[in-house]
Amino acid sequence: MSIFDIKRIKPTVADLKTDLASHGRLVSSLAKLPLRHGPLFLLEKARRYPWLRTLMAANMLLEMSVRTRTGAYREASGFGVSHVAAGIGELVDNLFAKPETTVIHEDLVPPEILYGMGLNPWMAELLGIIAPLIRSEFAETYIDAAESEGTPPDICSLPKCTMGIALKGEMPKPKAILTSNMPCDGGMSSYSVLERELKVPTFRLDIPYNFYGERAVRFFAGELKRAIAWLEEHTPGRMDWDRMRQVCELRNKAQEYQMEVWDLVAKKPAPMAGEALYLGHMMYSVAMPGRERGVEYWREMLSRTKKIAAAGGALPDERYRCALWNPPTLIYPELFVWAEQKYGVALLMDMISYNRHPYIDTKSPDTMLEGLARVVMEGPMARHTRGPSENFFSDLFALCERFSMDMIWMAGHIGCKNTMALNGMFREKCRERGIPLLIINYDLSDTRVVSPAEIRKQAEAFMETVMKATPL
Amino acid sequence: MKQPAGIPTFFKNLVEEPLNALVEKAQDAGQRSIGYTCSYVPRPLLDVEGIFGVRLRAPGVSGTPMSDTYLSNVICSVTRSIMELALEGAFSSLGGWVFASSCDHMRRLYDNLDYLEPLDFVHILDVPHKRGEAATAWMKEELEMLAEKLAEHFGVDTGKEALARSIKEHNRLLAILRDLDKLRRLDAPPLSGAQYQMLMVAATSSPRDAIIGPLENLYKELASSTDGIDDYRARLLLAGSNCDDPGYIRVIESTGGLVVGDRTCTGSIPALQPVSEEGGDPLLALARHSLDNISCPRMMEEFDARAREILEAVKLTRADGVVLETMKFCDTWGVEASPFVSVLREQGIPVLRLEREYAMSSEGQLQTRVQAFLESMGR
Repeated sequence: MSIFDIKRIKPTVADLKTDLASHGRLVSSLAKLPLRHGPLFLLEKARRYPWLRTLMAANMLLEMSVRTRTGAYREASGFGVSHVAAGIGELVDNLFAKPETTVIHEDLVPPEILYGMGLNPWMAELLGIIAPLIRSEFAETYIDAAESEGTPPDICSLPKCTMGIALKGEMPKPKAILTSNMPCDGGMSSYSVLERELKVPTFRLDIPYNFYGERAVRFFAGELKRAIAWLEEHTPGRMDWDRMRQVCELRNKAQEYQMEVWDLVAKKPAPMAGEALYLGHMMYSVAMPGRERGVEYWREMLSRTKKIAAAGGALPDERYRCALWNPPTLIYPELFVWAEQKYGVALLMDMISYNRHPYIDTKSPDTMLEGLARVVMEGPMARHTRGPSENFFSDLFALCERFSMDMIWMAGHIGCKNTMALNGMFREKCRERGIPLLIINYDLSDTRVVSPAEIRKQAEAFMETVMKATPL
Repeated sequence: MKQPAGIPTFFKNLVEEPLNALVEKAQDAGQRSIGYTCSYVPRPLLDVEGIFGVRLRAPGVSGTPMSDTYLSNVICSVTRSIMELALEGAFSSLGGWVFASSCDHMRRLYDNLDYLEPLDFVHILDVPHKRGEAATAWMKEELEMLAEKLAEHFGVDTGKEALARSIKEHNRLLAILRDLDKLRRLDAPPLSGAQYQMLMVAATSSPRDAIIGPLENLYKELASSTDGIDDYRARLLLAGSNCDDPGYIRVIESTGGLVVGDRTCTGSIPALQPVSEEGGDPLLALARHSLDNISCPRMMEEFDARAREILEAVKLTRADGVVLETMKFCDTWGVEASPFVSVLREQGIPVLRLEREYAMSSEGQLQTRVQAFLESMGR
């Protein structure tokens, strides 16, 4: 039993073989960095950018994900986490190798257009999302840096972490920034700090409040056109519509596989759960969509999910199915494994991963832009936090039905004012529908607000008093 | 520092209730009132014959226990306070609400009020976060939709001519408020910052047609008054979030710092610019006026313009220093305030940053902070 109250499972010989493959994938991807840039270059970067040292410890996330499971589920989790870690390695590699074409993009502005223009995307919030999964306290020094510069403590800790990285001089300077008014006012405003600190030109996309409907699509496709013209003026990137078509087709293909995975996950018992699902989506639909890697990931994940389905499900004993609403608990990724082991809870879906991205019609530049406009506007979390509250609730209750959820755990991140302001309605709507609801009080990126142990206590109290569950 | 006695209690009474006596009188006369929550809602559209707009405030709110249950206690207290009074029934005589998607807090206020206290008429304007041709066209369409909905629901005329008349009257109101504001630039102004704020609040929370006359009469009296304020220690510019409580400014001024200008969404800068009456397209004029004249940090790409505007306001009002007040939990001001402080200090302008809640509290603490600020300026 570890400090996170999760058990390591004694591996079988087959498990050990698959573990080797997962670790091999991770090590070979990390080894590419010193091989390509030279060990001294990497040491210099690790000194200048301390977050790189945290990313290099990605094996800790892999260990947690793999050693707590067995059989095909262990194999698939290992594949998922190591593949995503390798993807991050590729992004970091490009960040250092191509500074002249690097464009920072905000996390809910998927970078297909940048790929279509031959630019190199770097998602500013990636570090604030990934690094705490590896080391829970990662963001705290950056949160403190932002607050000591006058950012109020109540602002969401994810943009504060991103601002802190820039304020401490640890954000590599890009050629330009492409951001938007998503996902919240804090996130939107944080880019004035990034713009001032990095001293690079910045383009801001404006997503309408009412984004469902042709009027919004027309408006936002126009915004994308303006962004392309602006990028052509301020970066070496040039739009190549054939390349853009390839990017969109790869996104569509990955999306198709991902949808098949979700269809399987909807079955009881679930043939896949946990990190591999949300990390895969975050990586290949948000941070680097439209790449061959994403297609490979979801094709493989589909095949593995089918295999687990044939073997009778991912969890040895699935007793409950749960939606984790809001983004996953970054400071406590072990929550998934803990819930599985302690009560047989399969955490199947979260706000970031619930994917309703439409397919992109690649017939012409205009249809691609309109498709991308829908993808951005209807993207995960963007559609929940920017529009009216119906968006938030209708999606959640639809997924509860589709995945036969027994309960909802709301990861009640205190810095997310958008969702905090819906908690009253949320309780009443769940009560009306008879859906048990746990609102976990915590902070997305700061363990000093609520520790992982406290999160666990909240979940235990809920499971044992509301769900009348007994530990496995 | 003295507060001149020239402002009739008539105005004071108007700001003490969420819906004042002039609103009640107009309602009794058969006019329908529409509450609005944000400066991005163009008031001339709500002030056509048969209806009138009232900016929602929460004077006298003492706590927000009911709204905290729904909105939580990490949401800006402007929205929580308005919601609290709404749940107490203070706005039940209104004929409708019009909201703007201006910030996360206002949007969620709309969601919660629509869920808990739905009125017959509810609308939210989708306000762009940028300026420019496309944004103006979008905003104009938004106003078209609202105009149609108002006409249909209330049976009022929101056609071009009716709107042109409304804009003309609105400009009359803005003109008198500008004239009153200009009096504050005198060496010995005949009204204090708190008193001016009271007039601004009275103007936005009363039926327009009932308030223009009293304001014009007051201006005539003040313009010829010889009872000016000449015992202040420093001239201050107030900048920052929504500040519709004259009491807040009164506390600042009790220390001897005279507030000679207010760059807030409820103050005189820059929202008192007239709406264009040219071009024959009133909705386009209103769309432009909203996007170009309400200088809220929810607008992206405008940080430099906002900073420039504060620097210009300092010059215009001959302010010795700036009090930057931001509403607690306001994300946009919260993030932007620090860079503003840096910009002002780089220009050698003394600045005091204050975080506040909507309802006045900790008066002594506020006085101490302002006194220390004045002393740091050598005043």
